[in-house]
Amino acid sequence: MALDLNFQHRVKARLISIAHTVTLFIAMSIICIPGLWIVLNSFRPTVDIMAKPPVWIPRDLNLDNYYAMFGGAGEGGVPVLQYFTNSLIISVTSTLIALLIGMAGGYAFARYRFKGKNAIFIGLLLTRAVPGVALSLPLFIVMAKTGLIDTHIGLIMVYVAMNVPFTIWLIDGFFRQIPPDLAEAAEIDGCTRWQAFWKVEFPVAKAGVASAGIFAFLTSWNEYALASQLTRSTFSKTMPVGLRDFTSEFTINWGGMCALAVLMIIPALVLTFLVQKHLIAGLTFGGVKG
Amino acid sequence: MRRKKIPTWFVLIFPALVILAAVVLVPLLFSLYSSFTPYKLTRPDTLFKWIGTFNYQKAINSAVFWAAFGRTVLLLTIALNLEMLLGLGLALLVSRVTRGQRALRTLMMFPMMFSPILVGFQFKFIFNDNVGLVNNALQSLGLTNEAIPWLVDKNLAMFSIIFAEMWSSTSVFAILILAGLFAIPQDPLEAAKVDGCTPWQTFRHITLPFLMPFIYIALAIRSLDVARAYDIVQIMTNGGPARRTELLWTLIGRTGYVDAKMGYANAMGYISIVMAIFFTIFFFRKLNAARSELGMAG
Amino acid sequence: MASVQLNNVVKKYGALEVVHGINLDVAHNEFVVLVGPSGCGKSTTLRMIAGLEEISGGEISIGEQVVNDLPPRDRNISMVFQNYALYPHMTVRENLGFSLKIAGKEQAEIDRAVNEASTILALEDYMDRRPGALSGGQRQRVAMGRAIVRHPDVFLFDEPLSNLDAKLRAQMRVEIKKLHQKIKTTIIYVTHDQVEAMTLADRIVIMRDGFIEQQGTPSEVFEHPVNTFVATFIGSPPMNLLQGKVIADNQLAFAEGFTLPVPQEFVGAVKAGQDIVLGFRADNLMPENHALDLDEASPPIKMPIVVSEPLGTETLLYTRLAGGEIQAKMLKPRPVVDGEVLTFHLDLARCHLFDADTQKSLR
Repeated sequence: MALDLNFQHRVKARLISIAHTVTLFIAMSIICIPGLWIVLNSFRPTVDIMAKPPVWIPRDLNLDNYYAMFGGAGEGGVPVLQYFTNSLIISVTSTLIALLIGMAGGYAFARYRFKGKNAIFIGLLLTRAVPGVALSLPLFIVMAKTGLIDTHIGLIMVYVAMNVPFTIWLIDGFFRQIPPDLAEAAEIDGCTRWQAFWKVEFPVAKAGVASAGIFAFLTSWNEYALASQLTRSTFSKTMPVGLRDFTSEFTINWGGMCALAVLMIIPALVLTFLVQKHLIAGLTFGGVKG
Repeated sequence: MRRKKIPTWFVLIFPALVILAAVVLVPLLFSLYSSFTPYKLTRPDTLFKWIGTFNYQKAINSAVFWAAFGRTVLLLTIALNLEMLLGLGLALLVSRVTRGQRALRTLMMFPMMFSPILVGFQFKFIFNDNVGLVNNALQSLGLTNEAIPWLVDKNLAMFSIIFAEMWSSTSVFAILILAGLFAIPQDPLEAAKVDGCTPWQTFRHITLPFLMPFIYIALAIRSLDVARAYDIVQIMTNGGPARRTELLWTLIGRTGYVDAKMGYANAMGYISIVMAIFFTIFFFRKLNAARSELGMAG
Repeated sequence: MASVQLNNVVKKYGALEVVHGINLDVAHNEFVVLVGPSGCGKSTTLRMIAGLEEISGGEISIGEQVVNDLPPRDRNISMVFQNYALYPHMTVRENLGFSLKIAGKEQAEIDRAVNEASTILALEDYMDRRPGALSGGQRQRVAMGRAIVRHPDVFLFDEPLSNLDAKLRAQMRVEIKKLHQKIKTTIIYVTHDQVEAMTLADRIVIMRDGFIEQQGTPSEVFEHPVNTFVATFIGSPPMNLLQGKVIADNQLAFAEGFTLPVPQEFVGAVKAGQDIVLGFRADNLMPENHALDLDEASPPIKMPIVVSEPLGTETLLYTRLAGGEIQAKMLKPRPVVDGEVLTFHLDLARCHLFDADTQKSLR
């Protein structure tokens, strides 16, 4: 009797374990296949992509799409290199500025008590809730009037503003994790408040600040809704906007788009892996411990 | 001896306030004003003609607007809820794995690295009726001979968009909920087992209440950038064909830039802003409630 | 030479006043312990001396100089924090040398001072570890080392032992005492643990609700508490208190018809009809045949034992008397059965009488 019962439970556990593995496999496939499909197609010639019936086993993998992209002489001649440079300049600059502003703000929220603190904090975060397209209309008009449209500076300003609230949120969380008596000890050890911050609190929070920075970078790197309206020419277009250059009225250069997509995804991939641990810690901490 | 000076905290948050005022607040005030005018980009003088709430009335009386509004709310509701449930499921699946869990977690973050625009393009490709992965696969498996118009048919197009949106954001939920699962103290779980709870009861009464704050953080974070869906839709269908997948955001974009009716577009923009802020505040309140229930209020 | 004076020091948070104008004189080289329950203002007082909190009124001077508005670094003090506040990104050596480095001292001088401190506190083996790799007691010693490296005028300790386990705490208490003997410096030490206060202090300052209740040497505050608060706060187990009334013939009447003579010391200080509180320590209520020397023995008192706690060298007895729960001590322990009725004698010469209204000592 007891043996039976044990046997039943063993079988049940076995079945659950199999179901678990199968479900997990399916879920992971759905997550991975779309991305891999893009990568694969970036190496395939257009003929293969368009083939009917479809070609499943890759016949001819080559780097033609990438040559075309950087040669600037591919179909439609999309100046990818220029877009890449624009994206890099705009993302890096806006990230650095957003970090400086965000660090000051995050520190203020973590360390000082003042009236209306919560209201200001929520107000800051709510600016993030404004949909990009709703913001882009007035921004478009204002920027057109001030001549900032189609410039690096214009887009940098926009991205700084976009990133500051979230950066403040993350950095506030990281500074809260540092006990205030560390800075106090530094002050008693002879530091000014300024020295106490740079010599003690900043080094301790460094990893957190770095991940906030990477988060800001990725937001700028990937942003489309605003960039698509505020940039007009190759002089300031970023890569997400450039992706549309591969689409003409009736045809789409799938291979070229896939190659550009891969180019966009690589920095994002590398950076996200670098900070994934801190990022999760930062997000949950900022939220749970408030 | 003590000088009266500007408080340090103000100096520290001042730059943040300035940049946000310049880039967000001032344009928004401007757009609030212009939503009360018949402002057209092509005719600058129209900016100074006050027409009261005409644009809002026009929006409220417009079937196109309400269709887009309804579709947007529907999309958000379906997508956010499904993402939450699937994210929870995925997190539970992964948390049961003992070997290779780190690798799985890394794989899980994969879609998070894709910018929405890339997601949109990727699924436009995959759901393409002619060369897309889905149709190719279905045809090769002999399930159908037709080219299913994933992005053209009204219902299928909405499905495709929701699928793309979920693909890109479910892992945000999964990652955050997984972090929550790891943070659950073991004692109450073990106590529940000893007290005779079934696995389902343990989950329902111990695990889930503890996860709620994490779920609401995820919802709050997601609702902060719901408008990401704009990028996806814009690329996949751009609201078309024939407005079958028109969302508030694509409608606003088209009205503002293509038709150049800025005043009207701004009025609709304001409606969508209010909606976004409503969602955000709603989830932050839920978060606070769930937190204080667990005694974590700070 | 660094004495510390607090002159009518007030601390307010907005409208809320948490320290109500306290006065305190700490002499050079004196070891003063501020003790009190949590929220009594002792830590706030210490932080005001350190310069970590602004003072809302009054005057603080260190070594004759008013320091009201000086930042911490200009006060030549050092402080040991409750959670040690070691810099997690620096090694022990760097932690110890940090203050000297900030002050722009030469490397040779820093090394000398750091080595000296590490020898005093036996830290030589851990010099290149980070705080994360140290045990609680080791961190505690590093925190003290960091404080002594600078040769400050005043040492401030903010509940430094509260995160250690009981055994380590006793050990560190001795080390702190030794440290004070070795490096003669003024020390102000905050704790909520009256045992620490009794064992370490030259002078104890007992605080409650932002006021100083009493200050004096450990034996003064133990033997002559000025009110019932100090009486119950200092000493373990806390002093027994019984509500009663003075009746005719210098007798005290308590509930359930229990009476005692007024202790000699208080005859004349009380008058018939007065409501009083009688206080006595467990040590002065002893079972018959265990009484050692009673200066002024009371009539025999019969009490039932509710619970007994054998502690090895002595046994603590929980008994009932006049409607209250009373603790007594058996200094030559023998097994006791719960419910057993024993006869006790109280040493009236060690009793205290407090006014029932003001709770102040009638001495």
